[in-house]
Amino acid sequence: MAQEKSDLLQGTLDLLLLKTIAPGPLHGYGIAQRILLTSQEVLQVQQGSLYPALHRLERKSLITSKWKESENGRMAKFYSLTPTGRKQLNAELDQWRRYTNAISLVLES
Amino acid sequence: MRFPWQNHESDLQRELAHHLAELTDEFIRRGHSPQEARILAKKQFGGPEQIKEECRDESPWAWLQTIFQDLHFGLRQLKQTPIVTAAVVLSLALGIGANSAIVSLMNTILWRTLPVPAPEQLSLIHWQAAGFPQHLADGGAGSMFRDGVTRVADFFPHTAIESMKKAAAGRASISAYSFALPSSVSFAGRPVIAFNRAVGGNFFSTLQVQPILGRSIREEDNTPTAPAVALLSHYFYTKFFASDPKVIGQILRIDNRPYEIIGVLPASFYGLIPGDSTDLYSPLWKSSEFAQSRNGNIDFNNPRSWVVQALARTNPGNTTDTLQPLLGAAFAQSWQKNREPKPGETNPILRLDDGRRGLGDLSRDFRSPLLVLGALLVMVLLIACANTANLLLARATARSKEVALRLSLGCTQSRLLRQFLTESAILATLSALASIVVAYATAKGLAQFISNRDNSAPLPLTIDLPMLASVALISMLTLFLFGLFPAWRASRVDTNSALKEGSGSLGSAARRWWTPGRLLIVGQMGFAIILVAAAVLFTENLRNLSSQDTGFDRGNILVFGLRPGTSGYNKDTLPPFYDKLERTLASAPGVESASLATIRPMNQGGWWGNIQEVGKDKKFDVAINAITPTYLPIFAGKLKAGRNFTAADMAPKAPKVAIISEDLARQLDPNTFPIGRKIRHGDDPSPKAESMEIIGVAPAFAFNSMKERPHLLWLPFETQKEEATVVLRTKANPSALLPSIREIMRQLDPNLPLADPFTMEELVARNLQRERMFATLCGSFGILALLLSVIGLYGVMSYNASRRRNEIGVRLALGAVPRNVIWMVLKEAIGLTTLGLILGAPAIYYGSKFLEKELFELKPLNPILIGISLLLLASSATIAAWLPARRAAALDPATALRQE
Repeated sequence: MAQEKSDLLQGTLDLLLLKTIAPGPLHGYGIAQRILLTSQEVLQVQQGSLYPALHRLERKSLITSKWKESENGRMAKFYSLTPTGRKQLNAELDQWRRYTNAISLVLES
Repeated sequence: MRFPWQNHESDLQRELAHHLAELTDEFIRRGHSPQEARILAKKQFGGPEQIKEECRDESPWAWLQTIFQDLHFGLRQLKQTPIVTAAVVLSLALGIGANSAIVSLMNTILWRTLPVPAPEQLSLIHWQAAGFPQHLADGGAGSMFRDGVTRVADFFPHTAIESMKKAAAGRASISAYSFALPSSVSFAGRPVIAFNRAVGGNFFSTLQVQPILGRSIREEDNTPTAPAVALLSHYFYTKFFASDPKVIGQILRIDNRPYEIIGVLPASFYGLIPGDSTDLYSPLWKSSEFAQSRNGNIDFNNPRSWVVQALARTNPGNTTDTLQPLLGAAFAQSWQKNREPKPGETNPILRLDDGRRGLGDLSRDFRSPLLVLGALLVMVLLIACANTANLLLARATARSKEVALRLSLGCTQSRLLRQFLTESAILATLSALASIVVAYATAKGLAQFISNRDNSAPLPLTIDLPMLASVALISMLTLFLFGLFPAWRASRVDTNSALKEGSGSLGSAARRWWTPGRLLIVGQMGFAIILVAAAVLFTENLRNLSSQDTGFDRGNILVFGLRPGTSGYNKDTLPPFYDKLERTLASAPGVESASLATIRPMNQGGWWGNIQEVGKDKKFDVAINAITPTYLPIFAGKLKAGRNFTAADMAPKAPKVAIISEDLARQLDPNTFPIGRKIRHGDDPSPKAESMEIIGVAPAFAFNSMKERPHLLWLPFETQKEEATVVLRTKANPSALLPSIREIMRQLDPNLPLADPFTMEELVARNLQRERMFATLCGSFGILALLLSVIGLYGVMSYNASRRRNEIGVRLALGAVPRNVIWMVLKEAIGLTTLGLILGAPAIYYGSKFLEKELFELKPLNPILIGISLLLLASSATIAAWLPARRAAALDPATALRQE
């Protein structure tokens, strides 16, 4: 694991987490792995930020959690989106796209 | 016990463990040995505690957990100083609780409106005049009271009420009612004395009160020919009929006449006055009092017979100002024409008084006493608050080191504030709970002081929750203000110097003479001396009155009332009945002698008149009673001169004779007993008025009350009287004899109930009800004030002494004698106490002047009493200060200095 890593922009972690569990319930380790894989090992979410963020989203009722057996037979805490969470995700995605669009317009002008 | 955040905790633990396990697996998959994998995983994972800590802050239970921690810590702090905690809670609870009880009582008696719809529309119809208008009325039944110099009365001729009703038609509804009178009531063979209020047919429609069962009294019930009906009060319905709804429609006998029970009033309607003793209501025309026309001159059609009261409800859009002239004119028209008032008297003027609070009797009697009690209680509350402040201040100062330590370890200001807030909140909650208990207990006791009859409905006293809350709020403010003081001071404190400051050294603040603690002590002492003086004053007053020589032996006398005239006896059967009654009771076991009288002794009210010697002008006010020959020997023993009544004197045609009390005899003739001289009633100026011969002079004794000694006139008992008071001299404890007396009375006549049986001691006690209330309450306030201020003083003194340990240690080491140290500490306490006492003195002086004028005939500025109060307070203050002083003097200088 010696890849170059980027620090996550403030506020983007929540968006990543919501997006990652959007397809279906996932536990903390799975979420970190999924982000690592999909970002082609660029984005590594530290446990120290992952769990507080998950708990924060849960407190805001954007996600809920449930203890279930994982694929390798361990009990794990699975997070999934709530309807509000899904709405929030869509809103934030829109915002993100507008934002990156604007940035690239400026940078590539 | 498991808290929600503990669940959350283990959840978090498991979640992180799962992550670690997956990570370990990952390393194993990459070809590391399990042991290696575990170490690598842990290394990558980092410190789990740090993650946990951050997750905890995101926990939905985080705030609750902090509060719980604060509570836990707060409780531990309070437990460490149990005496301070108990003193704060107790003083606040007593202060708040007693205050709410008094305020509730004031509310019930002085401010609460009648439990009827739109009470503000109600007025009481009164008239005012100088003196009784004898040119218009032959007699009155109702109450008369003074309003400044004028006399105000509530009784009217029935004809006047009828014409007022017509005059006010459309603008107001006017309803007549009468005094609630004791009546012999019997139902299914059970006799009881109950209070019956005769009311007009529109009484309940005017009040807008609906019965909860059956129907109300209507206009058609209130005619001379309609069948008699009775409406029960809820209290009487529950007590006498055990809430049996089947009694509706059944026949009840009131004064031996049949009445059909038509309904039951709601429990919320307590009557026309709080603690109204009315048990049942019946139509005016059916009222036995009037229908039977006992005295012959009470007659609804006679405009000279002023026997009914009235109230008015103005219709919306009308005011009493527009109503008053209408009613006044109708009232004046009902008078007999061409009658001029006697010199010194005037024609009565009609007035409408605020009726929303019902009849004003209780508030007239208790307004000033309650206001005085309220003022005294506010002082108790102030002392309690000062005490709380003082104790909290002392504790706060003691904690300044702790606060400094916590701040230096990184505790935030807000967290510190929250901590102290929580501690104050715990104290507040404990005090609030305790004060509710105190409030209810006090209110119950107070209501008993004010109940006017043995088995009447209790005063509808409820603890007003908003009232309790507002009183509590004041105290809680004190609590928070002084509870937060340490946190506030911590924000200014330099942690470094506070930590360095030794436990024994004096802070700069303590060198000023006017520290908050000292000011509070002075204030406390000032209020305490007022309360202690009041306690001593009223206790002494009660002791004086009740130990007063009544002039007769108060033990072993039993008194009860009978109303045979309303239970089937008539003018022919009454004399033999009374004769038999007296003989039967006199020969009953345990009874020494039995006698009959018209007026109940020691009952405050009575039969008043004035007499003059025939041929002389000077009139003397007298209290009159008609008695059988056995009466005077029970009270006065032997006569001073002349002879007692005999059976022959009681005969209707016998020559008129009278016995007078010794003090009256001296007034008539200072030199010799006026036996054989003639006197006559001064009320009847006609020369034909019958004169009475004085046949005897009796020793004077307390007759109607413990507080006054009127001249007494004794007349022979009229054996055709409808009611009588029985007075028995017993051989032993009279209350133990009561059951057997009841049994004898049952055998004599099972339909004749005993009215209000009391022993003479009980009558005396009831006579001094108000004084006893004052003495008991002020006594407890005084003790409370003394206790609280002594606790406060002790707390501050011992705290100050412990702060000065170092200084005292140095003094002792340098050769100070323990006596000097004791004096040093005592000096401060004595100075503060004296200052407080001096400040309180003017209040005692003016307060007692006020009491003397407004309330009681007492000599308040008795220097001995003031001395006793001062001594009491000063000595307890000295003891309170002496304990910590002695402890300080016993200090080992070496230990004290080494602590530095």
